[in-house]
Amino acid sequence: MALSLRTLRNAWTVARLEWQLEWRQGHQLAAVGLFAIASVYVAFQASDQRTDPASWTAMLWLVYLFSGFTAIGRLFDRERSDVRRYLQWTADPLGLILGKLFHSILTTTALTALVLGAFILFLGWPQGAGELTKPALLVLGAWLGGLSITVTLVFVSAVASQVRAGSGALGAVLGLPLLLPQLILSTRLTRGALSDTPWAILAEYPLFLAAISAGTATLACILFPYIWRA
Amino acid sequence: MNGAWNWIWKGGGIVLLAYVILRGFSTPLQPGLVTAAPSQLKLGMQTVTLTAAGQPFGKEGASLSEFTVVLRAGDQLLKTETQEVQPHGITVAVNVPGVLPSRALDAFVFTPSAGTLFLGNACFVEEAAKGDIPASYVANKPDESTPQLGFSFPFQPNIIESIRNLLWHVPMWFSMFFIMGLGFVASLGQLRTGKVMWDLRAEAAVRTGLLFGLLGLATGSLWARWTWGAWWVSDPQLNGALVTVLLYSGYLILRSAMGDDDRVGRLAAVYNVFAFVMLVILLMVLPRYTESLHPGKDGNPGFNKYDLDNSLRAVFYPAVIGWGSLCYWMYTLRLRMNRIAYSLLSR
Repeated sequence: MALSLRTLRNAWTVARLEWQLEWRQGHQLAAVGLFAIASVYVAFQASDQRTDPASWTAMLWLVYLFSGFTAIGRLFDRERSDVRRYLQWTADPLGLILGKLFHSILTTTALTALVLGAFILFLGWPQGAGELTKPALLVLGAWLGGLSITVTLVFVSAVASQVRAGSGALGAVLGLPLLLPQLILSTRLTRGALSDTPWAILAEYPLFLAAISAGTATLACILFPYIWRA
Repeated sequence: MNGAWNWIWKGGGIVLLAYVILRGFSTPLQPGLVTAAPSQLKLGMQTVTLTAAGQPFGKEGASLSEFTVVLRAGDQLLKTETQEVQPHGITVAVNVPGVLPSRALDAFVFTPSAGTLFLGNACFVEEAAKGDIPASYVANKPDESTPQLGFSFPFQPNIIESIRNLLWHVPMWFSMFFIMGLGFVASLGQLRTGKVMWDLRAEAAVRTGLLFGLLGLATGSLWARWTWGAWWVSDPQLNGALVTVLLYSGYLILRSAMGDDDRVGRLAAVYNVFAFVMLVILLMVLPRYTESLHPGKDGNPGFNKYDLDNSLRAVFYPAVIGWGSLCYWMYTLRLRMNRIAYSLLSR
């Protein structure tokens, strides 16, 4: 259980394995990309090319949320069969969950770039937002909000993967209530970054999001060995 | 010994709840001013009627000289003449001068037995120029009488009679926290020992706690409709409460999705530990750092000490203990059901 160098090396291996699998299996990555682009395009069509900051934020986070579900929801799927038995013998649970969490950081970065990029490409900046004065805060908010979402989803999909029947739907049912606070904070931060709210007032939101991410990651590390041993 | 103790806490809880319901609904509210009509005053002579809620502060046709109404503008007092006194209202004639220190007038009603009633920003005088009140309009500060109201609940503007909801809404959340804490401890026990008894305890606790959480939401929603004007508002405290109830519903969904899988205890315990930590963050930590309509937001998500007076405390503390013991009783019943079901299934 103690965090040793061996655990960290284990975690690094798991993260690299995840990434290589994503890359080689192609369809997983393509599925997330297709989902994100298609939903942004629906948002673009539905809003008739005119959006105010509030609805821009709402659509951004809805797309982000469900892209996150698509990307992370199947993270523990391959641990259901022979691979699971192999990993149970070779990797310690702490290393495994840390590896998955590292992987989720990478996923967050890719998702943020993809979703924000697609939004700016199709919808442009929201109207009435005036000159965008805090682009850094917008990107930072999207990344931190996304991280708090994916970290929680890693834990949720670990729990859901243990249930034999219909773990996909269960992941969404368990995940959505857990993600509400993160989404409330993220949407407020994004709306603030788009408006002329000063930095000083918004500064606590990134801190809250980072604290929630760190807290859920720690809890996941403490609790995951119990799921894994079962 | 054990049996006697059971009788004491169960019977005591029921007696306390009976006392709370009786006392909570029969105790009168102290009188307090609610509205002034008209609220816009013109210059010159006119009449104003102040209406009160709660206990009556006067009798029909009472001696007018015992009641004095004074309007305050800035720090100066404007005199009035009492014309009619009713149980829940008083009508006065007032001569509004052309110059006032402030356009907003606060009303004070000095009564013989109910003390001094106050209504902030009762009336507005749009046309008044700024300046001191002319000497002939100024009132002297009347003598204040000490209120002789007996046992009564304090009057709070906007809340008025709905203050009685304090005895329902707040103990619901206290009980939920108490029983969810018990569930958290049971889940930790499950993870440590793997014994099924801990799992049965955790399940019973979450089920009971969820019921109290739903009741807390329902009573809170009623209160919000009365004081804030909407059944639901976006507010950190309310968001936290809703998420909590959804989280624990997720716990029950997870259990039923697992069916008779023998890992259900461990997995449910893992989820419950996670949920309880989120509950503490959501309801105890986050609301303290954000603005909220919910009372006592400056560092404390409840009423602060100035809002609770001794008469309310005398009913509120028994309410907390009574609801808490009822909640624990419900939990023990559910636990007994769980144990019987388990022993039947594993026979």
